Amino acid sequence: MAVAAPPSTAAAERLDRLERMWRSRPGLLGWLTTTDHKRIGLLYFWTTLVFFGAGGVEALVMRTQLAQPNERLVGPSTYDQLFSMHGITMIFLFIIPMTTGAFGNYLIPLMIGARDMAFPRVNALSYWIFVSSGIFMYVALFMGTAPNAGWFDYVPLASRQFDPGRNIDFYCLGIIFNSLASTLTAGLFIVTILKSRAPGMSLNRLPLFCFAMFAAAIGLLFALPALSVDTIFLFLDRNVGTHFFDVAHGGTALLWQNLFWFFGHPEVYILIVPAFGIATSIIPAFTQRKMVAFPLVAVAELLVVFIGFGVWAHHMFATGLPTVALVFFAGASALVVIPSTIQVFSWLMSFVTGSARFNTPLLFIAGFIFMFVTGGLTGIMFVAVPFDQQVTDTYFVIAHFHYIIFGAAVFPIFGGMYYWFPKITGRMYFERPGQISFWTIFVGTNLLFFPMHILGLLGMTRREYTYPAGLGWGPYNLAETIGAFLTTAGILLLFGNLVASYLRGEPAGADPWHGPTLEWTTTSPPPDYNYVVIPKVTSAYPNWDAADREEDRRKLRDGVLVLEQGHEQVEVTPADGWLSEIVEMPHSSPWPPLLALSLALVFTMLLIEKFEIAGIMGILCLLTLLGWHSTEPQEA
Amino acid sequence: MTAAPLPRRSSLPAAWWGMSILIASEGMLFGCLIATYFYLRFKNPAWPPDGIPAPRLVVPLVLTACLATTSAPMQLALAAVRAGRVATARLFLVAALVVQCGYFAYEVHDFHDQLGKVDITRDAYSSIYYTLLGADHGHVFLGILFNLWLLGKLARGLTRYRANATLAITWYWHFVNVLTIVVVGTLLSARA
Amino acid sequence: MTIRRLEFLQWAGLFAGAAAWAAAHVLGYGVTLAECNVAGSRWGISHDAWEGTLLAVAAALALLAGLAAVAVLVGTHTASYESDPPTGRIRFFAIAAAVANFLFFVVLLLDLAGTLSAAVCRQG
Repeated sequence: MAVAAPPSTAAAERLDRLERMWRSRPGLLGWLTTTDHKRIGLLYFWTTLVFFGAGGVEALVMRTQLAQPNERLVGPSTYDQLFSMHGITMIFLFIIPMTTGAFGNYLIPLMIGARDMAFPRVNALSYWIFVSSGIFMYVALFMGTAPNAGWFDYVPLASRQFDPGRNIDFYCLGIIFNSLASTLTAGLFIVTILKSRAPGMSLNRLPLFCFAMFAAAIGLLFALPALSVDTIFLFLDRNVGTHFFDVAHGGTALLWQNLFWFFGHPEVYILIVPAFGIATSIIPAFTQRKMVAFPLVAVAELLVVFIGFGVWAHHMFATGLPTVALVFFAGASALVVIPSTIQVFSWLMSFVTGSARFNTPLLFIAGFIFMFVTGGLTGIMFVAVPFDQQVTDTYFVIAHFHYIIFGAAVFPIFGGMYYWFPKITGRMYFERPGQISFWTIFVGTNLLFFPMHILGLLGMTRREYTYPAGLGWGPYNLAETIGAFLTTAGILLLFGNLVASYLRGEPAGADPWHGPTLEWTTTSPPPDYNYVVIPKVTSAYPNWDAADREEDRRKLRDGVLVLEQGHEQVEVTPADGWLSEIVEMPHSSPWPPLLALSLALVFTMLLIEKFEIAGIMGILCLLTLLGWHSTEPQEA
Repeated sequence: MTAAPLPRRSSLPAAWWGMSILIASEGMLFGCLIATYFYLRFKNPAWPPDGIPAPRLVVPLVLTACLATTSAPMQLALAAVRAGRVATARLFLVAALVVQCGYFAYEVHDFHDQLGKVDITRDAYSSIYYTLLGADHGHVFLGILFNLWLLGKLARGLTRYRANATLAITWYWHFVNVLTIVVVGTLLSARA
Repeated sequence: MTIRRLEFLQWAGLFAGAAAWAAAHVLGYGVTLAECNVAGSRWGISHDAWEGTLLAVAAALALLAGLAAVAVLVGTHTASYESDPPTGRIRFFAIAAAVANFLFFVVLLLDLAGTLSAAVCRQG
């Protein structure tokens, strides 16, 4: 909390101990061995931005190639790698790790009043695995053998017979490797949100951001195994000679599609649900009112992911499924619209009934709602099977999902960067360039993605490296390319603004927005231990409860829940948040990066088909795990 | 630790929830493998396809029953740990390990034997059969490693950490035992 | 109603309808795959009997779960979803369950109507 008056001697001593208990190790070694969720969040943030840049460059090359008919900037096989890597990068190496790894990691413990995640070393491990998997994938690109069968990599195109090189082996192994990171993060979020909350924060007082992260974590946990199984089957078919997907020996190519989309559809909800959480954090702050229909928004976030598990075959409406199957999946696809709509109405009502201040974060949220509704409308159109069968695999689909992904994931990410910039850096960003960056990006993305609807209806299919003249497609493509470069300019302005603000912005103080949640009660940036005392919580908007914040100051003086004797935090009962245990947390540790390195060696050996050495590397992993568990928490 | 003692309510520790996460993820993995088994079965006129013998009935059932019974000594080990009786806990753990290792050794030998008669690369049936069965054996092996580690830790005394570990690992074994019943049931359904 | 009864009804209401829809959805897809692929010709699956029973049972469960949620809402009418735990939390989840089960009930009825009236095993 922002301490107004100088604390008493007893309190000062406690603060001093707390400081020493939680101080980060200095230097590069400190960053390598960190288990602090804030540092891990920042590592994720910068790493995902590098991948965002790579994915963006891939997009710009494609857009330049397509600006005019019959261009030859890149040939077809390079183009195949570009669109595949663009999809893989943006989904697995940018959006998921940015929303969960960066925003989720940094903010969840702060919002629930904890000092760190429930398993801090697992958190570090997930980061080191993530960055290793990204490097693994990009080695493929630099070697010219990047995945080239699209981000969903259908068989039989991806089989050994039609794609004999290393490309798809990089895909299978890279995807499995990356999914380990996301699975660890997901599990960590679930346990932390259930067990590490401040006492008094029963689940009906959990911030909506945390509901959204919880929903996304459940989604990742149950969706990723399907992708792992699928890619294991493909790897076995390609390298061992099994016949999962081989029709001649009793297999079927549709097995790939069913498993892939059972993962793939929840994945796309997982892309946007954390962003919903960012929106539901920003809106109350800039309308200065509680979220309209709070319980309905919370359940809607969970329902979107849950029902989203039941719609996967709508990606297969053109594969000759039986009519009854179409009934189930069209029905579920229509159903899943409703929770999203509940949220949109709630957000809009919060705008209308609150006193909205359109600072940059809220502008991005307004843009997000516009883009999400547009993309959602085309999504509803796909529920009609006859329509879907006409436009599937055309630019109409590309338009739909880019409106959703760029609009409903990237816009909130940008808004969230501005919103939490003061908290993370301690400085205020420059407002005017912020607003200009929003409008530039907004106009740019609409110019980029709207014409794609028309092109799709005119018959331009996906993944074409060029197109002939005389079809009337040229002007639309040219407009899109201009939009792409305009969007890029806006994004560069956005980051330039943030860098300049970091160097020269005004000091922001603890609470520039009078935001609703706990992170605004502590200093900017937060201290290593987050909170001087584990905060008292009696509502879902703790920063607006002055009496509780006053109580926290008394707790510091009286030594209640300061937990300065060790590197400690609380465990609570999952549903109601009653205090259960005080537990000792691990501090910095070398085991997470060592384990990630061992795993990277396993996957590399599998890639180059040195299976015995891969086994030996596996034993190395087990030894590292032994080392990890050789230290135990100190007992009371 | 803290100055003022605050009222506490008992609750399953974070370690139990962490193991539940692993169980959920691996359970889902097996759900996908089993769904694949039936999906491929629907697409094949004969199952097992011609030339491949139907799986034996008695031996797999007996072995599965043996493995499933190890839930009892595991649970008894947990009860002993909760009562503070470490030596008793170690005994029950060793009893469970003997059966689990015996089971695993036989299964490895049998897996190798079966591969000699029908290779995994024969067709889709053999592909999913060995993958599903092999995955189950892999999870039994992981459980054995957990138990060996736990035995080593309990040999040096009892702490709350080690008690939580016993809880988590017992929970894992209940999962593996139920899983093996489901997997063997699935594979044996080919006889129907 | 006692807190224990309210607690039980709240969790049942929250999970039963959702589980029923999920199970019916996956099993319903499985039935149609089984009957419309090669193996189905050997097994003689009665489409209407299987799908009808599956979906009717699931719809009934979703309805019961919804009623459980409503019972909890009635039993906690003096509190709000912002009240102290456990009552506030119980009411919060009952609101969630009431809305969710209504949606599941409706979609299960639509599934029932659709599967019984659609041409069996025609390729879509």
